[in-house]
Amino acid sequence: MDELLAVLGYKVRSSDMADVAQKLEQLEMAMGTAQDDGISHLACDTIHYNPSDLSGWVDSMLSEFTNPPDDSEYDLRAIPGVAAYPQADESDKDSSPAAVSSPSSSSSPPPPIAAAAAPSSALIAEPTRPVVLIDSQEAGVRLVHTLLACAEAVQQDNVKLADALVKHTGLLAASQTGAMRKVATYFAEALARRIYKIYPQDCLDPSYSDTLEMHFYETCPYLKFAHFTANQAILEAFATANRVHVIDFGLKQGMQWPALMQALALRPGGPPAFRLTGIGPPQPNNTDNLQQVGWKLAHLAETIGVEFEFRGFVANSLADLEPEMLDLRPADVEAVAVNSVFELHRLLGRSAGMDKVLSTIKAMKPKIVTVVEQEANHNGPVFVDRFTEALHYYSSLFDSLEGSTASQDLVMSELYLGRQICNVVACEGGDRVERHETLTQWRARMESAGFDPVHLGSNAYKQASMLLALFAGGDGYRVEENNGALMLGWHTRPLIATSAWQLAR
Amino acid sequence: MAGDNEVNLNESKRVVPLNTWVLISNFKLAYNLLRRPDGSFNRDLAEFLDRKLPANTNPVDGVFSFDHLDRSTGLLNRVYRPESQLGPPTAPIDLENPLSTTAVVPVIVFFHGGSFTHSSAGSAIYDTFCRRLVPLCGGAVVVSVNYRRSPENRYPCAYDDGWAALKWVKSRPWLRSGKDRNSSDVHVYLAGDSSGGNIAHHVAVKAAEAGISILGNILLHPMFGGEARTESEKRLDGKYFVTVQDRDWYWRAFLPEGESRDHPACNVFGPRSKNLEGMKLPKSLVVVAGLDLIQDWQLAYVEGMERTGNQVKLIFLQDATIGFYFLPNNQHFHCLMEEIKNFVSAA
Repeated sequence: MDELLAVLGYKVRSSDMADVAQKLEQLEMAMGTAQDDGISHLACDTIHYNPSDLSGWVDSMLSEFTNPPDDSEYDLRAIPGVAAYPQADESDKDSSPAAVSSPSSSSSPPPPIAAAAAPSSALIAEPTRPVVLIDSQEAGVRLVHTLLACAEAVQQDNVKLADALVKHTGLLAASQTGAMRKVATYFAEALARRIYKIYPQDCLDPSYSDTLEMHFYETCPYLKFAHFTANQAILEAFATANRVHVIDFGLKQGMQWPALMQALALRPGGPPAFRLTGIGPPQPNNTDNLQQVGWKLAHLAETIGVEFEFRGFVANSLADLEPEMLDLRPADVEAVAVNSVFELHRLLGRSAGMDKVLSTIKAMKPKIVTVVEQEANHNGPVFVDRFTEALHYYSSLFDSLEGSTASQDLVMSELYLGRQICNVVACEGGDRVERHETLTQWRARMESAGFDPVHLGSNAYKQASMLLALFAGGDGYRVEENNGALMLGWHTRPLIATSAWQLAR
Repeated sequence: MAGDNEVNLNESKRVVPLNTWVLISNFKLAYNLLRRPDGSFNRDLAEFLDRKLPANTNPVDGVFSFDHLDRSTGLLNRVYRPESQLGPPTAPIDLENPLSTTAVVPVIVFFHGGSFTHSSAGSAIYDTFCRRLVPLCGGAVVVSVNYRRSPENRYPCAYDDGWAALKWVKSRPWLRSGKDRNSSDVHVYLAGDSSGGNIAHHVAVKAAEAGISILGNILLHPMFGGEARTESEKRLDGKYFVTVQDRDWYWRAFLPEGESRDHPACNVFGPRSKNLEGMKLPKSLVVVAGLDLIQDWQLAYVEGMERTGNQVKLIFLQDATIGFYFLPNNQHFHCLMEEIKNFVSAA
């Protein structure tokens, strides 16, 4: 790998350099001889993938000239829906597509996926800690110092000092406003719990946590982005299948699926038969939450004309799942997508849990695996590092919420995030489930488990950007392309990452 | 014509290392896709293609960085600082103490290039460049400004943002330094490449008018122009990655609609420009790449500065193309680094 280009974000093997140069020359010739607006289709209609793979990008551009885009291929666009269950009025369905779909453009087939190159030594990350300071935080700098000092004291088991510092934090936090104050309060509380060993009750009613999550869904675009980008990858993977099966590792209220089903319903040539397996934790009152969600989705399916089958699975942990339980059908009959939104990291607290789940996924022979995770390392071995990471991460997250106006939703969203903070800071061992890791870490894990990346392209990027413009409360949200994955962040701080995978060949 | 293209491509390939050629050619072709004939710009695809690097408070090669956002304006600056010799690596960002109470520590306010349209402070090419400047200038602080770009934000947005950034930098207690507490100030240099150089000039003029002290300006093949077609533009058109046509497009995208290139933002010593005589502008270091087609405008700038009694040093790099400073693989890069180092350290 050429080290100098690698630093600038381009992966080109030194031995390939002359070849890439030649192709660039060819591309320039081709662009030069095309009509003036002949090349604009390269920008609008072509789907670009992973610009870091320069060679691949140039190849795909060149193939645009040698193989004109195939008009007969339909182009599936996920509709950026709200969590829409069929309403009495049908007007909701009409409002979204116009903003997103562009007229009659067709997509070329995705280029052959380049095998993931081993990262060069220049890229093997020392952990990166991206920090975005909001101007108000300059005033809160002492508060941050105190929190970090307290975490340091906790790590050194200096209970007396930690106790003094956590109280001082409370005083300092009171003189702050906005996001800084809220974040500091949650972190101080979590530290206090750790110091005094009053651990939070983890097993809260799942329906309560689902409710909080729904408010979070409404307040800010993170979950919408997660669902949208995962759906985009699933749709592309399902493009030619007549029967499809989605296995959702965390069904919750099923908010991801109406939009996918609507997109499938709009497929030229008609929708495939759609089967959904939803996995969820046990419910306290023996209420069957999964079935209720299944019924709602079945009702939607009926109104939009999609053949639908649903199955719910109660599991304490994804590691309890066995492929035989899922009634899988042969791959040539039914295409399988495995979808995990903020679920996989929970397995990292149990030894061998992750390995088990990854082999179970492989046994499902999925066409595609979509993974959305928080873009942060909250699972490092050193407490102070974890604490610092989390402080910066949740500060950015809370800052991004400040722009939203619905105050009820805001409080609930903050509670939702506050519980995560508490878990990261106060819990240990099996109780600590919020073991977030970065995309770089997930990539390494997936690749060594036998998965190849499936790249999300410029079409998904563009639509995600449009989605943000439609739904986002503030205008600091940014979509970023990262070696075939998409990240959503607040200004320059990436906060969640969507990646897609297939079985390695 | 196809034949001409072949000659052109071979020429540029001869004068730069192969990986540099690949890098800049890739930009050139990608940028061709992004500029639309009607003057609009495919911003989504541009952001998708741009390779970015995050800020990183963990020091890498002795430099760490963090982003600062001004909520009210949305202006983001990326601050690069040398790793503290004192505290542990996990020490929090120090926003309370001055940079030094025993020495002057320069703060270089950097405006990235991209012809007012492309790139950002987070672009990998610029993040990497800014990181280099920190140890080069003896542990200077660099503040890279994420100014608003055209065509969405035309003149004077980029200048307004540059000015706002300068005022922000000058007002940070934690960017002050001095030989003793009495001479504490924020010691600023302005720097920029291409459009960034243009911005640096205009911000320096405004600073001089406002009595704000700037220690020096570093203009790295700054972007200037005018209605006339100069000899260098005709001679070098299309030969080394850049065409007159694309220059025209970027000016049309930046300048107010309907304006000509003799607008004072573009043609700094032209018929419509302010008289810079007696303005006491900071000393300037102007670096001109010998294969840059707009060099005649840059040389005219240097001459104009001299004529109006402003101190300017010209570095003319004979066979350098635009973007020679992105990769440390050529003599021009090393020459530039040496000149910048000397310029910033001179009293």
